[in-house]
This record gives sequence, C-alpha cells and structure tokens, in this order.
Amino acid sequence: MTTTPFVVLKDVAKRWNGQLGVEGISLDIPEGSFTALLGPSGCGKSTTLRLLAGLELPDEGKILIDGKDVTTSAASDRNLSMVFQSYALFPHLSVAENVVFGLKVRRVPKAERLEKLHRALEITGLLGYEDRKPGELSGGQRQRVALARAIVAGQRLCLMDEPLSNLDAKLRNSVRKDIKKLQRDLGITVVYVTHDQTEAMSMADTVVLMKDGHIQQIGVPEDLYNKPNNTFVAEFVGAPPMALIGAAALNGFGGGKTIGIRAENIQIVPKGKGRLSCVVNESEFLGSETLIGLEHADTTGLCVLKSGLSMMPEGEEIDITFQDENLHVFDGAGQRMAAT
Amino acid sequence: MKSLTKFMDSFGAILLAIIWIAPLLFAFWAATHSTSDAVNLNLFSPWTMDNFRVAWNGAPWLKYFLNTFTLVTVILIGQFILTTLAGFAFAQLQFPGKDYVFILVLMQLFILPEVLIVENYAMVSRLGLFDTILGVGMPYMASAFGIFLMRQAFKGVPIELHEAARIEGCGLLGILWRVYVPLAKPTYLAYALVSVSTHWNNFLWPLIVTNSPDTRPLTVGLSIFGAPENGVDISVISAATLMSVAPLLIAFLIFQRQFVQAFLRAGIK
Repeated sequence: MTTTPFVVLKDVAKRWNGQLGVEGISLDIPEGSFTALLGPSGCGKSTTLRLLAGLELPDEGKILIDGKDVTTSAASDRNLSMVFQSYALFPHLSVAENVVFGLKVRRVPKAERLEKLHRALEITGLLGYEDRKPGELSGGQRQRVALARAIVAGQRLCLMDEPLSNLDAKLRNSVRKDIKKLQRDLGITVVYVTHDQTEAMSMADTVVLMKDGHIQQIGVPEDLYNKPNNTFVAEFVGAPPMALIGAAALNGFGGGKTIGIRAENIQIVPKGKGRLSCVVNESEFLGSETLIGLEHADTTGLCVLKSGLSMMPEGEEIDITFQDENLHVFDGAGQRMAAT
Repeated sequence: MKSLTKFMDSFGAILLAIIWIAPLLFAFWAATHSTSDAVNLNLFSPWTMDNFRVAWNGAPWLKYFLNTFTLVTVILIGQFILTTLAGFAFAQLQFPGKDYVFILVLMQLFILPEVLIVENYAMVSRLGLFDTILGVGMPYMASAFGIFLMRQAFKGVPIELHEAARIEGCGLLGILWRVYVPLAKPTYLAYALVSVSTHWNNFLWPLIVTNSPDTRPLTVGLSIFGAPENGVDISVISAATLMSVAPLLIAFLIFQRQFVQAFLRAGIK
C-alpha cells in the first residue's frame, strides 16, 4: 500500500435538475483495499460510483485516481473496470468475445489477448464456456463472465455496482467469498456498492455508510457496529439492528437523549428485577438462536436473542436488563455522545 | 356456430389469397403459351418457352437487371449509413433543438414523394447527377421512415451496455459500431426488405430521371418494352414481367420464414 491514497474524492457534489444527488462526498481509498458504499436505495451510493467511473460528471469537487486529476476525464481514460448490477454482457457476443471486448477496443495484440482471456477464464472457472452466448448461461455464470471481463485487462481499480443482487441467497454467499478472494489474490482496489449490510460488513475493509446523499460514517466494519456515529448508522448496521430507547424510559440519563442497545447485550430477568418491562410481540426461530421481538412505548426495534429454540408466547410481559458499558448514547439530534 | 366462423375464416383467407395471386398465375399462364392460346384460356394447349426467348432478345435486360441491382444496393447502403447515424443521434445524443429537428424529419413522412418530383429533378440536375444511378437513388437515402425505425431500435438497447462499452474504452462511433448496430440486426434486415422491394418496383422517378439504357432500371425498361408502339403481345409482356419480378419472388420464397420473423422482431406490420 502506498502512503498517498489511490483514489481520492474531495467534496464531490452532483445535483439532478437542482435536486440533490450527493453532496460533500470526501473519501480516501488506499490501494489494494476493499471499500463498500452502503446505504438504503436512493442514498446516492450508485451515483458516487458512477461519478468515480466517469459515467456522470460532478458539479463540484475533485476526483483523483492514482494521483491524476480525472474529474472531467472520459470513462475510457480512467483505467478502471466495472461490474454492473445487470452484468451488462453484450448479448450478441460469445463469452470469450465479451471478456476480450475491452482488449480488442484498445488494440491489444491477438496473442496477448488470448493469453489474458485464458487466464481470466481460468480464475473465474469459465474454461469450456468460451463459445456460449450470455443467453445460454445461468445467472451465476453470467456473473462470472462479468467478473472475468472486469479483471482481464488487469486494471488496478474495479468498481462493482450491486453485483450479487440478482443471485439467489445460497449462490450469493459463495460468490461473496470468491470476489473477496479474487480481490486479495490480484491485489486490486475494489469499490463495491451494496444495500445489503451483511455483504458490506463481511467483505469490506472500509465501509462507507450513506444516507440522502451524505456520508454518515466511514470506518472499518467493527467501528460501524460498535461505535455508530448516529442513530441512522445504529439502526442500519447489524442483524438485528440496534434497538433505540428513549432516555425518558430509563433512569439516570436525562431527557432528549436516545439510548442504543444491541440484542446480544440484553438479558431477560425475573419479574421486578429488570430495568425495563416490555411485552413480547413475536418470536422468530433462526436455527442456533431465537429472536424475541419486544414492545415498549418508548422503544423501536427492541429485541433479545435466546439460544436454541425457545419461543415465547405473544403478549407475555417480561423484564429485561443490560449493562451500562454496552449502551450507546445519542444526543437529541441523533449524534453519538462520548461514552458515559 | 364455432365451426362456421372457423370455416368462414379459412374460406376468406383462401379467397383473398386466390384473388391476390391470380394476376401472377395468369402472367405465368400467358408467358408459357402462345398469345391466342393464352387469351382463350385453352387448358390443353401446348406449353412453350418462345415468349421468354422473344422477350429476352427484345431489350438489354441484363443491363436493366444490373442497373436495378446497383440502384437498390446504392440506395440501401446510403440509407444504412444515414439512418444509422441520424437514428443514433436522435436516440442517444443530447443536442439543442433535438426535438424540433426530429419533428422536421418525421414531417417528411407526411409528404408524398411524387409532390417533390419537380424539385428533386431540379436538384439532381444541379448536382450534375441527371441520368446516373446515384441520381436515381439520392432522394431516397435520407429516409425518414428509416431514421425513425433506427431510433426506435437504438432506444431499445439497454443503457448499461452503452456504459459498459464506454468503460471498456470505446469512443462514440465505436459504441455505435460494436454495440448498437449488431443489436439492431433484425431491424436492419426488416428495413432492407422494405427498401429493396420498394425500390426494385419504383417506376415514376426513375422514368423521369433516366434517359438511356445504361442507367434505366428494370421497371422503366419493362414499360418501354411493353409500350403500345412496340405492339401489344400479352404473352411476351407477361414473360418479360415474370423475368423482372423473378429475383424478388424467388428470394421471398426461399427466405419466407426469416422475412416474417424479421418483421415480427422489428415490430413493423
């Protein structure tokens, strides 16, 4: 890794007909890292990626790749590759032709082309499918063709726009590992857009969580999980997400604040001994544990995990308790406060 | 009741087919019999190929065929180049006044080509293209129908493919050539059919703008061959007509299935 970041975004903004797209996006991405842009739909994560790719031009700010200012460069001059959500394979070309499309456009000699093609197909496990058309492949195979096309040219920066969203859950898990391994083995820098927090948390070195065109938090996955910057991050990251409790419901916190607590830090205690009493409203069996959803007037998303199969009847009143060191305190505007 | 409508459907279809093919069948009948036998519809009269021989020797048909073939090819190439570029511009590029220009192009569809004959004639003469094959083809090259068709076809191409090609390093013309044109193949095929059959059969404009056997297409040659001053011999004229429609007819019979599919895929009916 170099000392100066490989990709830099400085105060980038993009508006659509005066409406906000993204604003104040500043981001340093070191070479060889895996960065995930995470957020709900419409948060501007795809826009950020498209700005980086050169498919859109920013209204404000600067974009640097490998030390070069590429703010207004054409997509073809940025030396990057991209995997699209729909894969964007050319339906009239065979697998091999799809993969070498860019090499052909850039007039790479035929011998070199064939060699790179072979290597890319080998890495993605597509040898033997060279002559098939994309229409004759399964979803997972198409996805691998898109990956092969992205790595064949040996570009150091690869952008991925929700590449797993069209795969079924089981395949998604295995491809997730494949992509991560590929990124490590090739040492390329990946910027990855997803709305799935599990995907971002499990794959990325750095997660950038966005909402309404603004960055909410940049950090390693543990930080987003353990030290959320604000209530939005708290409620977005983790499965189940963090529960938020109005400070008024608890003693000793003063008004206006919000308290966050994760399900694994909550214990059920005998009646009368807890810090909060609430009502069971659902039980969800997850296999190794059971998720019990709780209801209380001042809370959102409160739930508790019990090991094994232990369903609780709906409507039962229980008491819960938790330790102060596991609490996250947010001020009235939802911003994280120093640990109490 | 149901079987009756079914019967009426088939009956109607067969009746229409017979009415449509009758002139062709009669031409075939007349061309293969002597004039008196043909007119009397004498079913047991002897078959003959003499009419074809007489017709073939009566005019420079080979030259006419070559002229028509060159003409439709020149028009088609010109149309492909112009409609592809214009269609792409209207479909995927942003430029000021785009909508107005597109409406102007579409307005061309409302104007009968015959109305413009005098103006076109003057223009072709000014360009020094009078009595040349290029002159015959020129007015048809910037076809509004073709531009509209290509625009629709290009609009149907997913934008991700365009973007993927951009990232892979393609310039605008490269994207057009490597992505849009191959994906619009069915549209090109359907359009080529319409264009070739229209211009193979076009008569009035070539009649006006050609003056010599060197440039005259089949249709004009045929009309001169069949003109009253050459004496009207229905059998010989039928033979000549059959000869001039034969290439299109044979091509249609061979590629019938592909033709219909191309039309269905391109969405023209």
